[in-house]
Amino acid sequence: MSSAPRFDEIVHAPNRLQICAMLSAVDSADFATVREGLGVADSVLSKHVRVLHEAGYVEVRKATCASRVRTSLSLTEAGRAAYGGHVAALRSIVGSEGLRDRPARLR
Amino acid sequence: MATSPAPLDRDSAAAAEIAPDEAASAISAIGVSRSWLADRIIAPGWYHLSLGLLAGGAIAEAEMHSWVLFAWSVAGYTVGCGAVMWVNQRRVGVAMNYFDARTRAVFAGHVLTLSALIAIACWLDLDRGTRGAFLAAGALAVPLTVAFGRWTDQLLRARLQAGR
Repeated sequence: MSSAPRFDEIVHAPNRLQICAMLSAVDSADFATVREGLGVADSVLSKHVRVLHEAGYVEVRKATCASRVRTSLSLTEAGRAAYGGHVAALRSIVGSEGLRDRPARLR
Repeated sequence: MATSPAPLDRDSAAAAEIAPDEAASAISAIGVSRSWLADRIIAPGWYHLSLGLLAGGAIAEAEMHSWVLFAWSVAGYTVGCGAVMWVNQRRVGVAMNYFDARTRAVFAGHVLTLSALIAIACWLDLDRGTRGAFLAAGALAVPLTVAFGRWTDQLLRARLQAGR
């Protein structure tokens, strides 16, 4: 991931970060699969997906198969960019702390 | 003059409040999610075995020397593979690009190996008159298909865990 570091408050919430992490690795994932991965209730996942969808980060598709509605989620280009930038920002926070610690350890 | 902060400023301010420990645990959570997804995508034992049995059955059937049976076995192999893949796709619940340079190379190796097995069986049976050549080739196709399938799974797992 080579995005420029950019902290994103929307992505940073723990459940939303995990949703983005899963979706960034695939083209799309079923709602039920993501819910199982997070270990949360439908309502909790729906709430986070709505936030990501309203930010333009996640696309929600519904398809009817054998009279059952299957909902699939995918990251949009904006979502991939935001997630990539956020992960880079997290890494830079961890990395910069490591650099700050070094002189203190030498003293 | 007071102005409302731009989103970038708000995000930068939020980033400044994040402790390195919190950032590290967030990165760790990403790794956990990726590992869970990688485990889910790995095909269960029955998947590669079913594909192997279908391939082995289609090859072994050639021992009967019947074009009608051969046509049925090819049709059965095609429909069977489609059904097994569909069931597994429903179980996994994700759509992704399974093929990159490495998995494509393994798939090509699998196809070439089975093609070589069939060619040797054809030569032994049709040219040398050796009975049981197609049965042996069909029996060998089962473990070979399982091995190539497991190899592909390992590459997929490594790709997902690396976040590519």
